[in-house]
Amino acid sequence: MEAPADTTWKGFTLSERDRRWAAVRKQAVAAGFDCILVPLCVDGRNQHLSLEQARGMRSDGRYLTLLENAAVILPTDGRKPIVISDRPGNAWVPEPRPVNGSWGVAMAQALAESGMERARIGVTGLERGKMVHGRAYAGVVNHTSYAELLRRMPNAKFEDDHDVVAFARYVKSEEEIDCLRRGAEIAAAGIEEMGRVARPGVTDSHLYTRVMHRMLELGSGYYPLALYTGPMDQIRLPRFEDPPLGRVLQPNYRIHNETDALWGGLIAQEQQGFLLGPVPDAWQRVVDLQRDLFYTGLEVLKPGIVFGEFVGAVNGFGQKRGGRTLTLMHGRGYGDDGPLLTPQDRGEKTRDVVVHEGNVFIWKPIAMSDDEKIQYSWGGCIVITKNGAEQLVKRTPSLISLQ
Amino acid sequence: MAYKPPSRAGATVYVWADYSIAERDRRWKAVQDAGKKAGFDCIFVPLGDGVDARYLTQLRCSSVILSTDGRAPIIIADRSSKNTWAPEPWQVGREWTEPMAEALLECGMERARIGVAGLKGGKVSHVTSIDGVVNHGAFSAVLKRLPNAKFEDATDVVGLVRYIKSDEEIAAMRKATAIAESGIDELKKIARPGTDGAQLYADVMACMMQQGNEYFPFALTIDGRRYADPPIGVRLQKNSFVRGEIISVWGTQIAEEDQGILLGEIPDTWRPVAERQKEVYETGLKLLKSGTPCAEVLAFGKSVEKKDGLTTNILLAGRGAGDDGPVINASTPAEKLEGLTIEKSTLWLWRPAVTSADGKVQLGWGGTVLVTDKGAERLSKRPHALIAVT
Repeated sequence: MEAPADTTWKGFTLSERDRRWAAVRKQAVAAGFDCILVPLCVDGRNQHLSLEQARGMRSDGRYLTLLENAAVILPTDGRKPIVISDRPGNAWVPEPRPVNGSWGVAMAQALAESGMERARIGVTGLERGKMVHGRAYAGVVNHTSYAELLRRMPNAKFEDDHDVVAFARYVKSEEEIDCLRRGAEIAAAGIEEMGRVARPGVTDSHLYTRVMHRMLELGSGYYPLALYTGPMDQIRLPRFEDPPLGRVLQPNYRIHNETDALWGGLIAQEQQGFLLGPVPDAWQRVVDLQRDLFYTGLEVLKPGIVFGEFVGAVNGFGQKRGGRTLTLMHGRGYGDDGPLLTPQDRGEKTRDVVVHEGNVFIWKPIAMSDDEKIQYSWGGCIVITKNGAEQLVKRTPSLISLQ
Repeated sequence: MAYKPPSRAGATVYVWADYSIAERDRRWKAVQDAGKKAGFDCIFVPLGDGVDARYLTQLRCSSVILSTDGRAPIIIADRSSKNTWAPEPWQVGREWTEPMAEALLECGMERARIGVAGLKGGKVSHVTSIDGVVNHGAFSAVLKRLPNAKFEDATDVVGLVRYIKSDEEIAAMRKATAIAESGIDELKKIARPGTDGAQLYADVMACMMQQGNEYFPFALTIDGRRYADPPIGVRLQKNSFVRGEIISVWGTQIAEEDQGILLGEIPDTWRPVAERQKEVYETGLKLLKSGTPCAEVLAFGKSVEKKDGLTTNILLAGRGAGDDGPVINASTPAEKLEGLTIEKSTLWLWRPAVTSADGKVQLGWGGTVLVTDKGAERLSKRPHALIAVT
């Protein structure tokens, strides 16, 4: 991998910006909106339900502007958007409008200037979405500024955008896929480092630091490693998103992780289990089942299939093999991308959503023993091509024994 | 409890939560007293105001209803989380609206005057979030469930309690400052002509993480461009100037230490800039004593702005659990500081920066300062000097 200082990647092009804006407009026109509003959203440090949800808080603005905090008014008639931000401009938006005292006032002025006093306005992030903000049941929007906006625009009709921006985000461009591939490579390098460092007697804090260091030196933006460690037979291990204090790895400890890396702001994830001892036969049977499930999923996921069909195939897979299996998968992108398919969220809202070429997912299905005492998940990023699903980084499902 | 918790939630996430029960009770009582004095029946920290909620619970994600009549608060917590401060919270999965409304009703707040933390930017907390941090979907649903209650902003009720630090918090800030200074030592060790900017960032971050630092982005400004993540496409050169705003977190206290490193001999033309910076730093430090009106610091900043062709911009910013204030610099309106005084046991980032007459050299230096009954105490230990790596 090239050193970050010598990278040939120069950032997203203006063509990519125009593609995204056009994709959102197209979706919005189809939904009958006069414009799309990305309002001020709460920051991820203050609304932090999970890593993914927190990163997703301001992700719609980031998608359209590459600014960390922005409100966007994007008319559907082809005019350029008005971008409001408290950050300096960039190549995509050289001169965002300053806020000057109240985001609510600034957003209302921009909407009025765009002729939206009586318009039908699609608002992103107002509610939990199907394809984005799936973990934010109450949405992501800042209250005080939005309430002020509603007060100032009494004749406009504000509605949830019905996933207009989300469906644009759902299908990735080549530029985005290249970034996710690089992120996946960095995450895989972080996992390799974990395999080098993890041994009985090593502190969890040291392990955590070494993995993060490896990914940062390869140029990843900081995205906390989610690290779980504990005795092999403990079904639910404690999760840490900062260096764990006062913990030391022991023989026969299991290490689980979600290893994420950022490139171009897009979040890739790879996942790998380790066991600090030999893998017992009962565990190996579950690991084998999980591996076969992983590859079966790749075969089933093709452009045109709907998620209901996919989830049915995955969740029924284990019964034929004397075990149990569950779908664990979600979209990859700027944060809290959907669909969200987990043991808690079985995907009822997304059963009819169609898989497209250019989708990127983290695919990490769960296999379990029949009594559910052994549970194992392994996975990584996959991209949907016209021929089907492919891993962004070629890794083999396994539980790695470190002795 | 009317609210039924979910049968299965996601994995519990553990965060630093080592303050004592006495510290919890101090915080709760101080907020209750301040809330009562302001005429509120309870203080409500809703979904979105994560920093205030963590201040009151030590949980990563929570919501709090704290009655001002002295009752213990109802705490709503996510993902099966609990700790010594909140051993039996109401646990939620991803649904927050219903439990927040139910908790307010259970506290008898149907017709109450409810102070909401985080609705607006405050005097000393949420200072850069001018429209506050409250989640619209959850809060507007709570408003509908309690149509006869009166909800008002109470950001400063919690904020002004956070403003004055306890001994435990000050001890945590001392440790955070020591970690940040070790990051500066690492910066000095690694920064050389030819070093990859991302490697430099990674090494400094890892040095601090190894000591248990909780993540908060720090910034490196390399040859005039600022990076809050590993720089891409940047390799240090001979005479590169690296300015670190090195931030470390311990016990939720966020310390910042600012240090410049020049990869070459310090030119003579830089020396008067550095000397003026040191002079303003030391003079300003003497102002930081209990009872000084914050407006006086603003006036001080104006008084030192121009001298011998050099321009000085001061920065004095409250420190604590995050987005603390006040922030005092050249663009701070005087009315924002009305009634605010520097107090004993407050923590600050003090960092004046001086720019040369031709605008080509800008030097800032500073770090975390504690106000004691004897005046200002620098928590950092390193010498006040620009570092030259030759």
